[in-house]
Amino acid sequence: MVETGQAAAAVAMQTFERIHPVEFQRRFLGQNTRHTGREFNQFRALKVIKGAISTAQGSATVRLGNTTVVCGIKAEVCEPDVKRPTAGYLTTNVELSPMCSARFRAGAPSDEAQVASEHIYRLSMHLLDLTSLCIESGKAAWSLSADIVCLKHDGNVVDAAVIALVAAIEDLRLPRAEFDSATGVVSADKEALGHVDVKKRLFPATFVLVDDLCVVADADDAEEQMATASLLVVMDGEGKLVNLWKRGAGVISREAVEQCVERARERMSEIAKVLD
Amino acid sequence: MSLNIADRRRINGPQRSVEPVYTTKAADPFATGRLDERALDQVRPIFIKTGPLDAQSLSAAAPSGSAYYEQGKIRVSCAIYGPRQGRKSNARMGSFDCDFKYAPFSCSWKRSHIKTSDEKEIALMLENSVAPAIRLEAYPKASIDAFVTVIESDGKAATIAAAINCISAALADAGIELYDSVAACSMALHGEQWVSDCSQAEENASTCSLLVARMPSADEITYLLQHGKTTPEQTQQAIQTCANDCTRVYAVICRYLQATLE
Repeated sequence: MVETGQAAAAVAMQTFERIHPVEFQRRFLGQNTRHTGREFNQFRALKVIKGAISTAQGSATVRLGNTTVVCGIKAEVCEPDVKRPTAGYLTTNVELSPMCSARFRAGAPSDEAQVASEHIYRLSMHLLDLTSLCIESGKAAWSLSADIVCLKHDGNVVDAAVIALVAAIEDLRLPRAEFDSATGVVSADKEALGHVDVKKRLFPATFVLVDDLCVVADADDAEEQMATASLLVVMDGEGKLVNLWKRGAGVISREAVEQCVERARERMSEIAKVLD
Repeated sequence: MSLNIADRRRINGPQRSVEPVYTTKAADPFATGRLDERALDQVRPIFIKTGPLDAQSLSAAAPSGSAYYEQGKIRVSCAIYGPRQGRKSNARMGSFDCDFKYAPFSCSWKRSHIKTSDEKEIALMLENSVAPAIRLEAYPKASIDAFVTVIESDGKAATIAAAINCISAALADAGIELYDSVAACSMALHGEQWVSDCSQAEENASTCSLLVARMPSADEITYLLQHGKTTPEQTQQAIQTCANDCTRVYAVICRYLQATLE
């Protein structure tokens, strides 16, 4: 009798969650808890696997709870920009396809994907010194395309994407390349691989203001749907603030922002432990 | 080589970039046995993980079923949405649609973000292979959508076979009514010898490739594609061998699916 009672309660709860997702979340927030039982400042378990993809010159898979992203870096050679003859290229793109979540449609990148791509591209400028990608000044340079593909979307894709990008750049191994000025051809030796110098490591932490009520760290999809504002804090390896990005109409108080920055500093060592 | 079109919705790199010329010569794949020391009729080891990583906190927008499939170096991920509202409200049978995409870093050259015609062709191949196994008459007015992303590819025919197996596992995970699971396997002809489940290097060194998708319990072949030059007798023999390989792959898929019930 107890089993059927519990089973019936579980089904009732699932139905309530489906039909009234907002009310469902409010019941938990009103009791000062999250629907998964996490603390308000608790991040989900993080797992990083580097170098699993042999077709990519650098790769990393990041799992943050249910959210899974894969970052693969392909290296090609190109002519550098006339205005910057010693600099290579690093382009980052985030792909949010219908595979990861029913919220995305097939076809051109959605607004969310474009915004994420643009912001991560700007953050990636801190990662590498592009002149280290030069093969021959004015003639040849490496062009790295970092593509971050989201396989499963359960909230907080940006954090996972930034960590995946940093891990993939650290995993990246470029073959030693030589430019032949007579033929204009770049030849590369796959046996001689070298890492690139990472200028600055980035450690992200996203906080979300749920339903104008409370700020939670690392929101999952259900909490993100009720978000009225979000705050991304990016730290470098020395605890200095690299980026602070607040989106949304909701108001986050100055004290809350300071608390988030403090939490992000702790989060930095949590991530560093996993990356090493 | 990347396209010369600036995609205005993505971050673009330089207009033109190419792969460097690699000086290290690739090893001859069949010189002394196969490079990964497999037998000529041996399929690569398969790993399947279905379902979400943490079933406790599942978002409402999560897929009904999903599978992550590895076969040697091939990595494929599939998500199934459905049965959900279909496009036609008067359809007596459900519709099954496949969407296939190579990740830009999945092949030895950099792929475009925009779907190319071969990806659309493969999507149609996947639809034709798997649709016969689904009891679509049990889902009128509904649509079942499969989205497949190849994370790493190793042999074109083998990757398509892996995608078919991945969809089968994901459909079972989604609880869609099936007549049977579809298992697929590929072979390639090297000289006079058919070799099972070829990697990209082995496929490049062969003259013909064969892909067979089969429902073993019903003993029905749902898809057959031969590409290259052979004789009818060679093809007949290869189809038999490949069909047996499909049964072996089917046993592996079933074992993984059974393990999720325990």
